[in-house]
Amino acid sequence: MSITPVQFPSFPTAPTTPTPVAGADAIAPSLTSTNGVSGPSGSGEEFGSMVLDGLDRLEGLNDRADNLAVQAATGKLDNIHDYTIAASEASVATQLTVALRNKAVDAFNEIMRMQV
Amino acid sequence: MGAFDALGIANSALGAHQTWLDAIADNIANINTVEPTSQTAFQATYVQFGADPNGGVEVTGLAKGDPQGRLVSDPGNPLADADGYVRQPDIDMASEMGQLVMAQRGFQAAVQVTKTAQDTYTAALQIGAR
Repeated sequence: MSITPVQFPSFPTAPTTPTPVAGADAIAPSLTSTNGVSGPSGSGEEFGSMVLDGLDRLEGLNDRADNLAVQAATGKLDNIHDYTIAASEASVATQLTVALRNKAVDAFNEIMRMQV
Repeated sequence: MGAFDALGIANSALGAHQTWLDAIADNIANINTVEPTSQTAFQATYVQFGADPNGGVEVTGLAKGDPQGRLVSDPGNPLADADGYVRQPDIDMASEMGQLVMAQRGFQAAVQVTKTAQDTYTAALQIGAR
């Protein structure tokens, strides 16, 4: 048995010019603009629609779990795991939504505590 | 593909093993079902699994056992023909019991996957929590 030396790939060197961070362009205009009262440009709406999409999805999961719970109560449930899995998904999705809500509220409170 | 892939895949495994358990239950329940020789014997159901290309497992088909069954001499049976034969299903009880254990353990393994997946999701929710 012969041992062949292992060739380690050379590590890529760090780029000398910083790569632009994705999303920074969207924030930069509002940071540099002097008329700051015009409101967020784009990024705020995206977060709002993201939250709404998440809430819609959560509602769908909860509806599905509720329907299966009714089926279980009325004896029309074919598979037990269909309900338990749906309930698990709804539970985790609810926890995730609540965690996001808490984070958003924390951020809001942090801003409100800011010294002016 | 979404955030709950592990749960969905485990769900497919639970469904497949549930179908398998149902088929085994049907086979064992009918292991003593005899038919007259003029008719086909009870045909055992064998579940065929296939991989779902989107992840998970699915039941691709339900194969049927030999309709000939086994010809058994049972002259006292009211269904026996003139020669005293009846048609019993060609089901191996030992094989069915072995498959029963496999289906049960497979189902339990899938349940464990759902538990681990949910633990993982809960752990992910703890990131950044105070």
